[in-house]
Amino acid sequence: MLYKFWQEALEYKETIIGIILGVILLSLFVILPLFFTANPYQTSLNIFSPPNSKSLLGTNDVGQDIFSRLIVGGQNSLRVALGVGIFSTFLAVGIGVWSALAGGLIDNLLMRMVDILLVIPNIIIIIIISAYVSPTILLEIIIISLFTWLVGARVVRAQVLSIKERTYVYAAALFGAGPFYLFLKHLLPELIPLMLTLLLQGMRRAVFIEAGLAFIGVVNPNVISWGSMISQSLNYYYLDVWKWWLLPTAGALSLSLISLTLIGYGLEEALISSSERGKTIAADS
Amino acid sequence: MKQREKLFTYVATLLFIIILNFLLPRLMPGDPFLAIYGEEAALTLSAETKQELIAQMSLDKPLWIQFGAYLHSLFRGDLGYSYALNAPVSSVIAGVLPWSALLVGSALILSTLLGFVLGVESGWRKGSRSEKLILFSIIGISGLPSFLIGVIFLLFFAAQLDWFPLGGALTPYSDFTGLTLLQDILKHLFLPAMALSLTQLSEILLLTRASMLTNLSSPYVHTAAAKGLKPLGIRYRHAGRNSLLPVSARLGVSVGSALAGSLFIEIVFAYPGMGDLLHQALLNRDYPLLQGIFLTIAVTIILANFLADKIAWRIDPRMREE
Repeated sequence: MLYKFWQEALEYKETIIGIILGVILLSLFVILPLFFTANPYQTSLNIFSPPNSKSLLGTNDVGQDIFSRLIVGGQNSLRVALGVGIFSTFLAVGIGVWSALAGGLIDNLLMRMVDILLVIPNIIIIIIISAYVSPTILLEIIIISLFTWLVGARVVRAQVLSIKERTYVYAAALFGAGPFYLFLKHLLPELIPLMLTLLLQGMRRAVFIEAGLAFIGVVNPNVISWGSMISQSLNYYYLDVWKWWLLPTAGALSLSLISLTLIGYGLEEALISSSERGKTIAADS
Repeated sequence: MKQREKLFTYVATLLFIIILNFLLPRLMPGDPFLAIYGEEAALTLSAETKQELIAQMSLDKPLWIQFGAYLHSLFRGDLGYSYALNAPVSSVIAGVLPWSALLVGSALILSTLLGFVLGVESGWRKGSRSEKLILFSIIGISGLPSFLIGVIFLLFFAAQLDWFPLGGALTPYSDFTGLTLLQDILKHLFLPAMALSLTQLSEILLLTRASMLTNLSSPYVHTAAAKGLKPLGIRYRHAGRNSLLPVSARLGVSVGSALAGSLFIEIVFAYPGMGDLLHQALLNRDYPLLQGIFLTIAVTIILANFLADKIAWRIDPRMREE
């Protein structure tokens, strides 16, 4: 199932370009730090130094090594991305499946809650909460996840409702399969392609939101982030430093986002086309 | 969704936002008074003023009485007092609203027009090389945060090329009037509005394109073609016009996401709207102002959604049944 879905996703050029871009970025982030090591927190008197053999991207306004901050910022981005991707997918699947299987009042209540939480763009709610708690990475993951599972849960619910009606699920239930067995054996495997798509889209959204929160300065100031690096470097637009401070950071952020967007897009297209095929098969039989 | 269900959703959303706004400072560890007013402001207040404010918000009483007092002051239009700016929050916000409305409004118009034309053309040329290229690049750009596009615009078109001013909404200390004033406003508006509309473009483009693809295969388009109408007319007057329906149905959502994006764009360009004010409130730890801004944004979005639904129902009666 997963293999077939993967094959299908790879038929889209977007997926392949996204994956290549992601692999290049990741390997740069693994290989380059081997040659350029510096403490990203260490300040020095050597401020606004241009790139040289010791520090690949020079230093910032308080003499910190920009390249090592870029790397740590990327690692933090990746942490938030993975954390939010996994946690929000988990929430989406949990609540989507629960809603679909429970039906009735619970289904109604849960979906109403999703409608309500979707009216105001999640970034606005996340900003106001972060302004009060000034989150570090773990808290940031939790706050972002709590407001990014909503659309996923709707899709999961719809998918479960359609799987539930299939003949083989009825047959299994008829042979005495319990709800837990049905979920594990018949529902979950069918949901895996969707979960993978939700994971990638959740990761993209997390990188996007994390950078935005750091940019306006509501996350804990000790957390190194691409967003805060961009906002700090913007204060010195009149100096030449933007070339090795702002530009590489903006580039790293854009390329990561583009990579995740493209992979997410490819997966979604593959998902849509396979579900459409499922529909035509169901209509034929 | 039926009209009544929609209305319920909006009322519940408003209630959720009010409760969130009420609970956030009160759930923070430590003295709620400090969390409500921000530590710096709270320290500068005299003991008497402090007692007066505590009594006014019923902070010495149980939570549900506090909530009553909170609702009571909200309904009187009292959003609190900003000690950092030394002015009532409501009047501070009212002062920046026109600029936000100008920025978000012009970005929405730009992105809708451009997204619609690109969507119609892209649906018409589906599968061609140029169409794929445009679609591909717009999907890529749409994945970027609004502030990033703003920063890049600012850096190149304002800082390097010097074509546009670096920030603000007006040239400071100038007393332009009439046409020169208008020109000055437009000059300052151009980059932020372009950056914001670029982030909103893809959604409208993809919606128009998808509905264009269905419309192009419908019988009335074939009839129009059989009558010998010009392709341009078929494209815009027949298929294109109907492709506007899903765009109008999503208008409320578009307003919300444009408003969210504008918060970041305004910070980049120091454009004196809600986003810039939010930034100041964050820097000053001015919590009453922060809460007022949050509430105003939420109410604006809910109202925009409500109005957009009304418009969509007017345009397309089928929407009422769904």
